[in-house]
Amino acid sequence: MKKLFKAILPFALAATMFAGCAGGGNQESASGTTESGTTEASGETIKIGTIYAMSGDKAAIGENILRGIDFAVEEINSQGGVNGRMLEVVRGDHAGDAATGKSEAERLITQEHVDVMMGCHMSTVTEVVAQVCQQYGVPMITAISTLDKLSDEEHKAYDYFFRLCPLNSVYVEDMLKYLKDSSQQTGEEIKTVAIFTDKAAIGQELIRCVNLFAADYGLEVVGEVDYSGGAADLSAQVLALKQMNPDAILCDSYVSDATLFINTLKEQNYKPKMIVAKANGFTDPSFITNLGSAANGVASVVEFNSDLTNGSEINKEFKDKFGVDMNGHSAESYTVVWLFKAAIEKAGSTDGEAVKKALSELVIDGAFEGGRNIVLPYSKIDFEDEYDLAGSKHYRDNTSASVAIAQIQDGAWKTVWPFEFSSAKIQFPAPLE
Amino acid sequence: MDVLLQAIVNGILLGGFYALMGMGQNIIFGVMKIVNFCHGEMLMVGMYLTYMLYTYAGIDPYLALPLVAIIMFLLGAVIQHTLITPSLKTKSFTNLLFLTVGLGLLLSNGALVLFGSDYKSIRTSYSQTNIMLGPVSVALPKLISFLVLIVVTIALFTFLKYSTTGKQIRAVSQNPVGAEVCGINVRRIYLLTYGLGVALAGIAGCLLTQFYSIYPTAGASFGFRALIVVVVGGLGSIPGAFFAGILLGLLEQMSALFISPSYSDMIVFITFIVILVVRQLLIMRRK
Repeated sequence: MKKLFKAILPFALAATMFAGCAGGGNQESASGTTESGTTEASGETIKIGTIYAMSGDKAAIGENILRGIDFAVEEINSQGGVNGRMLEVVRGDHAGDAATGKSEAERLITQEHVDVMMGCHMSTVTEVVAQVCQQYGVPMITAISTLDKLSDEEHKAYDYFFRLCPLNSVYVEDMLKYLKDSSQQTGEEIKTVAIFTDKAAIGQELIRCVNLFAADYGLEVVGEVDYSGGAADLSAQVLALKQMNPDAILCDSYVSDATLFINTLKEQNYKPKMIVAKANGFTDPSFITNLGSAANGVASVVEFNSDLTNGSEINKEFKDKFGVDMNGHSAESYTVVWLFKAAIEKAGSTDGEAVKKALSELVIDGAFEGGRNIVLPYSKIDFEDEYDLAGSKHYRDNTSASVAIAQIQDGAWKTVWPFEFSSAKIQFPAPLE
Repeated sequence: MDVLLQAIVNGILLGGFYALMGMGQNIIFGVMKIVNFCHGEMLMVGMYLTYMLYTYAGIDPYLALPLVAIIMFLLGAVIQHTLITPSLKTKSFTNLLFLTVGLGLLLSNGALVLFGSDYKSIRTSYSQTNIMLGPVSVALPKLISFLVLIVVTIALFTFLKYSTTGKQIRAVSQNPVGAEVCGINVRRIYLLTYGLGVALAGIAGCLLTQFYSIYPTAGASFGFRALIVVVVGGLGSIPGAFFAGILLGLLEQMSALFISPSYSDMIVFITFIVILVVRQLLIMRRK
């Protein structure tokens, strides 16, 4: 036995050394991705650390987020920066992995000495990065992590972590708010809803949240119809919905199922009056391309849409610069950069503790000082130290955050709710042709 | 009542696809005694082939059908010749299992590289047309697909029953050694059978394109059901596969209607297991 151990030991040692080298190599190449947001920096720059996926299958999402950040940084720097100092973006790449996110956060803080942190796209990564930021006292805002539990009781002590975007359950609550408000335009009250969704976690979450809030909005849930993702056929599900005959259908599906669902509705000769989706497959660009006019009338939650009252102007400039429309992710991350600017100006320094305090006291009402109106579908940003959401306590979320509802009209997404941020009217009943 | 009628029609039309997939799988299994685990991926290849013919050459999916069938037949024959025949010699079931599973992975990942992960579809002027048959609504492409299925089934049945090659295929399926002794070129028959099976999957893929999204893993749920069809319908039997496919489609729809759509998958698989166990018991008693 001892002999065997002796024989193996050198190999094991060599293997660990090799692994160590490989890790070191990775880190070096990662530091190489550092980019300065500006070239004409005067004095010491203020460093904003970002941790998003820049490689792997989530890279496209990271790219959109970073576009929003770059756009804001350029705007702010061209106005003379923050307290006379230029902003600089230091990029970290979590590649969709929590462990990588953690080491990137440590690198940005200890080696690059970033002053504030932004991230991440995936809630699991956000959670570990928030831990690191807490440990080093670096203020962090997440622009787009929606998982409810990031701000729950368990995370009460993470007082350097703030969230701009609405929570998952707020998304669903807004869907229900929309159903209730829609009668103002359609003249027809929505009383019953059915849920159509995937058997997987996304579907269970939708069902949970709808049941949580339905009673508050005077809605009765008449049925839940689910299916296994990547379904071969959905006609049984559609027939079940047809029998329930709800006033509105709420859904969350991946794109192949979403497309099949709308096709099957037509095939089974069933036209629900209202379909509201929780984004996902329904807002995938191929959804409209593949369905054509059959998609008309489908509504979905969106964080941002190019025809939002406060968003159309910035979208135009953004599109000129990057060649693509601003999306929810880029709009939210754009806003976070401006938030940091406001907080650092209020604090008068980049000291972590001071910025944290400024953030928790900060209230943006309507417009940023020296900047635009809030480009998202709400008009106030205020991080609530402690509040109650459906019976559980949450901390440091922007409680004024809300989503918008957009509807496909003539093959394009048109914002229809909240009414004060939209110009298009709800098409009711949904034509689906 | 209307709902019941509608569900029955839905079940039969859906079952048609399962039948088509099952027949392809069944003919391969019946003759070579191998399970073609990449059958679902072959369906996906058929879908992409139809998609390319439609987008780049402007060929209507139904006109492309014979072309797709021929190309898929050739693809199957090449795979059989270069990969499966050499592997058959090893007489190892695991070898073939890994070969077909690996081939399936290769095909779906190949499609991912070539076409990306976004969802494509074919929309012709009639793909969203509906026909009302009394109280029942039927999508035109599904109706056409079902007619194609019936034609294919009859043609296949006649071919196997009456043509010389068909008789040879059946002979090999019953006793490969005996068939070889009689002067039948068994390798040629294998080539033909695998090509035929793959062509059937290709036809199913081609027919699906008008109402199903085209993506690299599109064949998965159909491929799996083809296995059920084979087992329930009896190994090697074409009419058996036909009826088993329709039955499976009906079972899915009926269980969704009378119990709940949430449980229809579960009920299908429980039925499948029950059939397997009962049959095993019957066979044991007969012995």
